[in-house]
Amino acid sequence: MTPAGAGFSWSAIARGLPYLLEGAGLTIMISAVAMVVAAILGLALAALSQAPGRLARRLVAAYVEVFRNTPLLIQIFIVYFGLPQLGLKLSPFLSGLSALVFYAAAYNTEIFRAGLEAVPRGQLEAARSLGLSALATLRWITVPQALRISFPALGNNLVSLVKNSSLVSTIGMVELMFVANDISFNNFRTFEIYGTTAVIYVLLVLGLTRLLRVAERRLLRAA
Amino acid sequence: MNVLVDSVPYLLRGALHTIAIAAAVMLLGTVGGIVVGLLNFTPWPWLRASVTAVVEVVRAVPLLLLIFFIFFGLPALGVKIPTFPAAVLAMALWMTVNTAEVVRGGIQSIAHGQFEAGRSAGLSEIQLMRYVIFPQAVRRMIPPFVGLCTILVKDTSLAAIIGVFELTRAAQETIERTFKSFEIYLGAAAIYFVVCFPLTRLGQRAEARLHRT
Repeated sequence: MTPAGAGFSWSAIARGLPYLLEGAGLTIMISAVAMVVAAILGLALAALSQAPGRLARRLVAAYVEVFRNTPLLIQIFIVYFGLPQLGLKLSPFLSGLSALVFYAAAYNTEIFRAGLEAVPRGQLEAARSLGLSALATLRWITVPQALRISFPALGNNLVSLVKNSSLVSTIGMVELMFVANDISFNNFRTFEIYGTTAVIYVLLVLGLTRLLRVAERRLLRAA
Repeated sequence: MNVLVDSVPYLLRGALHTIAIAAAVMLLGTVGGIVVGLLNFTPWPWLRASVTAVVEVVRAVPLLLLIFFIFFGLPALGVKIPTFPAAVLAMALWMTVNTAEVVRGGIQSIAHGQFEAGRSAGLSEIQLMRYVIFPQAVRRMIPPFVGLCTILVKDTSLAAIIGVFELTRAAQETIERTFKSFEIYLGAAAIYFVVCFPLTRLGQRAEARLHRT
C-alpha cells in the first residue's frame, strides 16, 4: 500500500468503486421507499386539511411548519438519540428512514395542499351536480388533477431527498455517504473517495432530474 | 426540564454563532450568486455553457459531501483548512450556486418584450440589465431567495459534524454533560424554529405580494 498523500491514486478509486456503487444503490432504495411513504402520508394529510372544521387543518399546518422549519439533522438526532430516553429505541436504519419520511412528508403535504387548492372550483361543482359523493369527488376528480399539478414540485422534493439522505450517515445508517466515510477513513484516500462519491451523486441527481423532466412532459401530453 | 432551563444560555450562545455563520455565508453567497448568475447572460457562449454546467454539477452534490470534501479531502492535496473556514467555504459555495440559479431564473422570467424595448430605446446591454431587467427580476427572486436563506439556517447544523461550534454543536456538548438528549435536541429545534419560521412567513408574504401585483 502506498502512503497517504503520495499523489493521486486511481487504484484507490478502483478498489472503492464497487462499495460506493453498492452504497449508491442503497441511497436510491432508501430515497425511493422514503418518498413513496412520504407521498402517501403527505396526500393523506393534505386531504385531511381540506376536511371541514379548523382543528384538522391547524394540526396539519403545525406539523408542516415544525418539520420544515427545523434542521433535518436535529430531527434525525431526536429520533435516534432522543426517543430511546422515552423508551422507544429504533435501529439506525429505522431511525434514519422515519426521520427522512416525516421530513419529506411535511414538504409533500404542502405541495399536495397547494395542488388540491389549484383544482378549479368548477370541477367540484360539476362533480357535485353529477351526484358524486364527497369521497368519490376526491378520488376521481380532485386527487388525479392535484397529482398532475403537484408533479414537478414532488420531483424537486425527491431530488432534495436523495441529497438529504446523506445526513443519515451520521447515525450509522448505511448508504452512499456512509460508505464514502467508511472507505476514506480506512485508506486515507479522502480526496479520491469523496471526489468519486461526488461524481456518483451528480450522476444520480442529474439522471433523476432528466428522468423527471421526461415523465413530466409525458404527463402533460397525456393530460 | 430543569436541565433544559439550565442549558438555555449555552444553547443561545450556540444560536448566536449559527446566526453569525448564516449571515457570513449569506453575504458571500449572495455576492457570488449574483455574479455567477449574471454570467449566464454574457455574450460568450462558452462562458455561459461552462457556468451552467458548473452550477448544475455543484448543486447536485449534497452539502454534507461538500463540507467533507473541503475539510477531509483537500488536505490530501496539501490544502489544510481549519473547521470553521472549511464549513463556511463549503456553505458559501452551496449558497453561491443556488443563488445563481435563483438569479438566472428571475432574469429569464422577464418577458422578451422588455429586452427588445430596452434595446430599441438604445440602451447598452449593461444599461438594459442595470435599469430595466434586473430591477424587475429582483422582485421575482426574493421569494425563492428567502426560501434559500431558511434552508441555509437549517443546514448550518451540518457544520457541527466537523466540530464547528454553533447551535447543534452546543446541543451535543450539553448532552455529553447531561445525557438528556431528548430535551436538549428539542430545545435546539425550538430555537431553530424561532429563527426559521419568521423567514418562511416572510418568503410566503413576498410570494403573495408578487402574485397580487
